[in-house]
Amino acid sequence: MQRTVSSSPLAPSVKVKLINAGFHTAADLVDLLPLQLCQEAGISQEEANEVLQALRHDSRLCQERAAEGCITALELLHCEQSQGSLVTFSSELDAVLGGGVSVGKTTEICGTPGIGKTQLCIQLAVDVQIPVCFGGLGGKAVYIDTEGGFLVQRAAEMARAAAEHCALLAEDTEQRAALEDFTLEKILSNIFLIRCHDYVELLAETYLLPNLLQKCAEVKLVVIDSIAFPFRHDFEDFSQRTRLLNSLAQQLNQLANQQQTAVVLTNQMTTKVSNGQSKLVPALGESWGHAATEKLILHWEEDKSVGVAKAAYHVSRTRATPPLSGSGRGKSSKRSPALPPCLVFCRSSSRKADGWPLSTSLPGKWKPLSNTKLRVKDSGMPV
Amino acid sequence: MDWGRLKLNPKITNAVKKASVRSAKEILSLSGPDLQRLTHLSKGDVHLLHSAVAAEYRKARPVTALELSLGEWPSLEPGHRLSFACPVLDDFLRGGLPLNGITELAGESAAGKTQFGLQLCLSVQYPQDHGGLGTGAVYICTEDSFPIKRLRQLITQQSRLRPHVPPALIHSLRFSDNIYIEHTADLEALQTCVSQRVPLLLERGLVRLVVVDSVAALFRSEFQADEAIERARHLLAFSRNLHCLSHTYGAPVLCINQVSDLVDSPNPGRCDYGLVGSKVLPALGLAWANQVLVRLMLRRQERCLRVGGQTSTVRSLEVVFAPHLPRTSCLCGVWEEGVKGVPREGLREKPPCPI
Repeated sequence: MQRTVSSSPLAPSVKVKLINAGFHTAADLVDLLPLQLCQEAGISQEEANEVLQALRHDSRLCQERAAEGCITALELLHCEQSQGSLVTFSSELDAVLGGGVSVGKTTEICGTPGIGKTQLCIQLAVDVQIPVCFGGLGGKAVYIDTEGGFLVQRAAEMARAAAEHCALLAEDTEQRAALEDFTLEKILSNIFLIRCHDYVELLAETYLLPNLLQKCAEVKLVVIDSIAFPFRHDFEDFSQRTRLLNSLAQQLNQLANQQQTAVVLTNQMTTKVSNGQSKLVPALGESWGHAATEKLILHWEEDKSVGVAKAAYHVSRTRATPPLSGSGRGKSSKRSPALPPCLVFCRSSSRKADGWPLSTSLPGKWKPLSNTKLRVKDSGMPV
Repeated sequence: MDWGRLKLNPKITNAVKKASVRSAKEILSLSGPDLQRLTHLSKGDVHLLHSAVAAEYRKARPVTALELSLGEWPSLEPGHRLSFACPVLDDFLRGGLPLNGITELAGESAAGKTQFGLQLCLSVQYPQDHGGLGTGAVYICTEDSFPIKRLRQLITQQSRLRPHVPPALIHSLRFSDNIYIEHTADLEALQTCVSQRVPLLLERGLVRLVVVDSVAALFRSEFQADEAIERARHLLAFSRNLHCLSHTYGAPVLCINQVSDLVDSPNPGRCDYGLVGSKVLPALGLAWANQVLVRLMLRRQERCLRVGGQTSTVRSLEVVFAPHLPRTSCLCGVWEEGVKGVPREGLREKPPCPI
């Protein structure tokens, strides 16, 4: 497989000159001296040196890749399965998501204000640190906050509850040893917070994320809460917004894939009026709807605040309600009221064929409720 | 754009200058292929350019949550909140009003929202040990005129409201001097106030609390029912200003909001924030709700409470949503000295009383 000049990472004007001079593939340039290339293509000496270096480096890479061979779908499946997922501590939500939030993919969480998107994100930032012997990923988290909703008081409550929960579950010496690294201080020290005040800062952070993740390889989760907020504030040029969002989506997908991290984005909802009927849809437009690999939409249900889920593609599926219950854990005798449940709406990537598990059952660990609800506890552990 | 600080190959900086791309914002807003086309640089060079400009544009490095909890970054996490001057209310709100972000207080008329606003204007003037911020407040009135008589009454009763604060301190504070009142009769005046006059006060350190009473009045009156998009645009511009001010100066913003009735049956296109069985919803819809960090709702109840010779209708203050609070509610009453929360145990049933 030969590298063509037009697809190589050279400056566009240089490419044009080379193609005009008749050089189309790397093979055409392989035995040329820089001075000869200068004369034939009409480029400067420096540019000629660069061209030859780039194409030689490239051809070496191509050969290496050809030697390795392509990866088969079976290998890809094994790779994905061995990766593990990020549990949310709600067995229902995990079941609907296929084991948890997928690592290596982007997940979008949409919902109206106050439904629990930020709570879920902070919970994930704590859950990603659960040691591997407990079934977690044992990684760190980067939290990009654009709204100011990350309050460290809440993160500390969740971290404390997670540590206590794991302490109760510890059975053997390995798990007990791992617990020493899973304390409140340690959990808080592994969440990196970046606050962005406008979309330019968010774009800047996205360019810096690959470096950050390479330097700190234990980062397994990147949360952007929320991605809608800076882009909805008075953006005059909608086409520019769409372009920026598309390029952001590409960069995040690439980041998730290459660095094998889970990327979680939060989106707002907006009202869409069609045929005199209004309904709530995720914000940022139609093209952004295709950006993330997996999408969760959270709704309130009017009368009993029971969560309902429906798949995006299969409207006829049974409704499922992942419950996230909340009650004061270890708190005072007053029973703190629960947050009304939410609906979960799931669309997954093509790797979930059609066996989309949309059954609803209650979470195993906590006491079963009469109808599945989604509540956020004081301790933050969705149940 | 200070090219000298970027540590890039001069070839890259020259190419960028030649393409008349001047600001960091422009560079970061252009994609890789677009920049390649404009500057005739290679892909690797453009990548270096993006990384260098992004690193320069970034305002602060990532901080860990542990550093925040230890109070090492007061601009991001101040560690304290603005107290309401009542221990029950402060306990309910886990400290008081957050210093960054917009807090909304919605309720029907005569629920007591303005009372909360006035009480906070006084409470912000106390020093930090007593739950305040040591500076003044700006109160923006959009509907009625400012209730100056009630403010004077509250000022004289401060020592009764706060028995634990030394009277000498209370007497030393010149409360009326530190409250700046703005009357804005239309939307344009409101925007001018928030974008020009309030930042001036904040910058000089004269105020740190901004109260808008009420945010719904002007937006509801100046737009027709079918001008929803126009209204949303103005709302977003307004809230953007408030957000900027709040985050730059660490100033809590309290927006008082009206409510609208629910006249039709449950509608899938309307978000009710989980307020099941409620006949009213906070006004201004989803566009405004997305900008608010903490939403509180004040409701009058049928019963009365008598404490020490005074009678007050009981109100319930409910948390609709907040990032750090569970959905609880608390009872409170409005007295001569101000708003005070009622601990649940202290409530005895009384028949409804006339106002």
